[in-house]
Amino acid sequence: MRPLTPRKILGVCGVLFAVLFVVVVVSLRMGAYPISVRDIVMTLFNGVAGRREQIPSEFWLVVFGLRLPRIALGILVGAALSTAGAGFQALLRNPLADPYVLGVSSGAALGAIVSLVIAPHVPGLIQIAAFAGAAATIAAVYFLGRRGGQLDSPTLLLAGIVSASFLSAIIMFLMTTLSGRDLRGMAFWLMGDLSSPAAIDLRWLYFILLVVLGSIYTTSSDLNLILTGEQEARHLGVNVNRVKLVVYIGASLLTGLAVSVSGAIGYVGLLVPHVMRMLFGTDYRLLIPASALGGAIAIVIADTLARTVVAPTELPVGAMTALAGAPVFIYLMRRKVR
Amino acid sequence: MKIGHGPATVIGRRGILDARTAESQETCPGWSKLTLFARKSVAMSLAILARLFCFGARDFVGERLRRGWRRRAIFLCAAFCCAALNCATSGAMGDESYAKQQSSTTPASPSAPPAARPNASGKSAPATIVTDETGRRVAIPADVKRVVTLAPDLTETIYMLGLEDKLAGDTDYCDTPAAAKLKPHVGGPQNPNLEAIVALHPDLVLATTSINRSETVDALAKVGVAVYTANPHTVRGMLASTKRIAELIGAGDRGAELVAQSQARLDAISMRLADVPLVHVLFVVWENPLITIGQNTFIADALRCAGAESVILAKQNWPQISFEEVVRLEPDYIVFSSSHTGFGAQELAALRTKAGWKDLRAVELGHIAVVSEEVDRPSPGLVDAIEQLARQLHPDVFAPAENRKALLENGKVKMKNGNAPRRDAESLAGAAL
Repeated sequence: MRPLTPRKILGVCGVLFAVLFVVVVVSLRMGAYPISVRDIVMTLFNGVAGRREQIPSEFWLVVFGLRLPRIALGILVGAALSTAGAGFQALLRNPLADPYVLGVSSGAALGAIVSLVIAPHVPGLIQIAAFAGAAATIAAVYFLGRRGGQLDSPTLLLAGIVSASFLSAIIMFLMTTLSGRDLRGMAFWLMGDLSSPAAIDLRWLYFILLVVLGSIYTTSSDLNLILTGEQEARHLGVNVNRVKLVVYIGASLLTGLAVSVSGAIGYVGLLVPHVMRMLFGTDYRLLIPASALGGAIAIVIADTLARTVVAPTELPVGAMTALAGAPVFIYLMRRKVR
Repeated sequence: MKIGHGPATVIGRRGILDARTAESQETCPGWSKLTLFARKSVAMSLAILARLFCFGARDFVGERLRRGWRRRAIFLCAAFCCAALNCATSGAMGDESYAKQQSSTTPASPSAPPAARPNASGKSAPATIVTDETGRRVAIPADVKRVVTLAPDLTETIYMLGLEDKLAGDTDYCDTPAAAKLKPHVGGPQNPNLEAIVALHPDLVLATTSINRSETVDALAKVGVAVYTANPHTVRGMLASTKRIAELIGAGDRGAELVAQSQARLDAISMRLADVPLVHVLFVVWENPLITIGQNTFIADALRCAGAESVILAKQNWPQISFEEVVRLEPDYIVFSSSHTGFGAQELAALRTKAGWKDLRAVELGHIAVVSEEVDRPSPGLVDAIEQLARQLHPDVFAPAENRKALLENGKVKMKNGNAPRRDAESLAGAAL
């Protein structure tokens, strides 16, 4: 096997970036409001150059007001969820681990719902509450999953699954006892929905995403070693506890971030890292950036389909990821076996 | 070696951020000191975080220096690309200062946020600021030419006001009157396609809290579309909001007339029912699972107008209840709305054989009332449904002749109820009350 070179990492990331760019342009083109590719390119060009007066206001509204924020939100959510999934899979050395299986998403959703019930219109509170929910869940799962002082992977997964169903039950209870206007939004939100804009400025969320991605990335070569076994990694001089702490906190933050703006979008955290592993190998120095970009591509495609397949009505993007994700995964798995 | 490495990154990164902060300070005098302080403190905390994680990362082979650079290069590359993306999208977020920062070549760029921009070129009609029924302030053009409704009841209201020429689009659910089905649709009331709404160039979008999501209203308001949200909880509230909507679209006279008529009809009913005790009913919103109405819904108020009261007193709007509760509370009448269940003579026969239901006293006596689906929709058509319901629940108050005439007028109801159980109900009405 050839060693991983920086050239390869940059090459793969470049290719994925190009794919993401193409997907974004195609996604900008699709929608209920008809705009030609030429007009989109013109609008984008003038918009980035700051010459807003030269754009017809309708184009500005559709491209910069509706489609681009939604795509930006999709990129954010996809990158956050799949990076979190990749991180959890490495830490637990279990291919099934992902924010949903571990209950982190349910915890984030519960936190977000509680914040919506208590103070619906405070910007930023929902993100904080979602992160608090995610962090509290992962802490609880972490302690439940310990056996004899050591973190036991199967026990941890079981603890995660149990917490996930427990938290979902609490969410169901809250949704049944509370009613009125918020309930309707929540029902959509629980299915995963990108149609409502985030209450907080997206740039702050991107800022957090970048910081957390960067900090998880600094642990990537340690994660490679942890994959071979915690004892082995420890013997090779890896500060396992510290790496675990960084990745757990980072992945919880990412999950909280994604859930707070988009609700529960399933499958991405599980699928994308696996697909990337099948395509580019298991080295985490490549896998983490590739997962982030791949997750972004996957969500943008899924959301584009969700808003165009049955236009003018919209599907929840969570349904789309599951619908499109499962066959792709099975195909790749079969191909790998052969 | 390790220590020497960490701070270098930190200083470099902090330098970049400080430069950025300084730049934004120069170009955006509007930034308050507080915001600057927040930015600086975030930069500081980033530096602290970076230091923490750089120490946390530990390499296992000798060539850590080179690899560290590679990693840093990739991280910086990703950061740069995301920053570029942010720049591209920032204008869309409605962030004034950032847009200004970008368009430094055009210092005379309008300081108004995108919300205040006119929707389409050439619409410079003066806008009036009104507060809608959810407390939101909306700028509505004085001359509203194109309206998009996001709920069936609003569509119906528009038609009743005779303003269908101004209706540019409605939802997939808008089926009354039939002509509404031919208008361009913008999707379901709960998940409309925002682009489809924008593409119709509406001067005003009408929404209601009874079915639309607040997120939809937020999203539309964010891109500068005027949305008026109605929030009716009672029949009178519905009439008041009809009047306001009529005024907004420039049909105040027609609205006042319609509301006055409806009010007169309601007063006539309440006068006739003044001395009659309330009938205890179970309003079936959905049969399986059994869902009924809460006390704060407009249907509960419509029932009161029709001289009835729901047996279920729930704070939730659409509570799901157990059948045992129905058996315990023994409603005098069971009310179905024809929209959901398509209730007819067959269904009544089916109900008479259905386990549980057939033992209810109301079913045995044939005390089943069916109202048109208008009852689900808080539009002036609700008054028709109230009249229907009052006639069915109080057959002895409304003279039999008049009752029959009404049944003949409304063929649907006659088909469903003008048979044996109906006469049962009339003869046994005294006992039931």
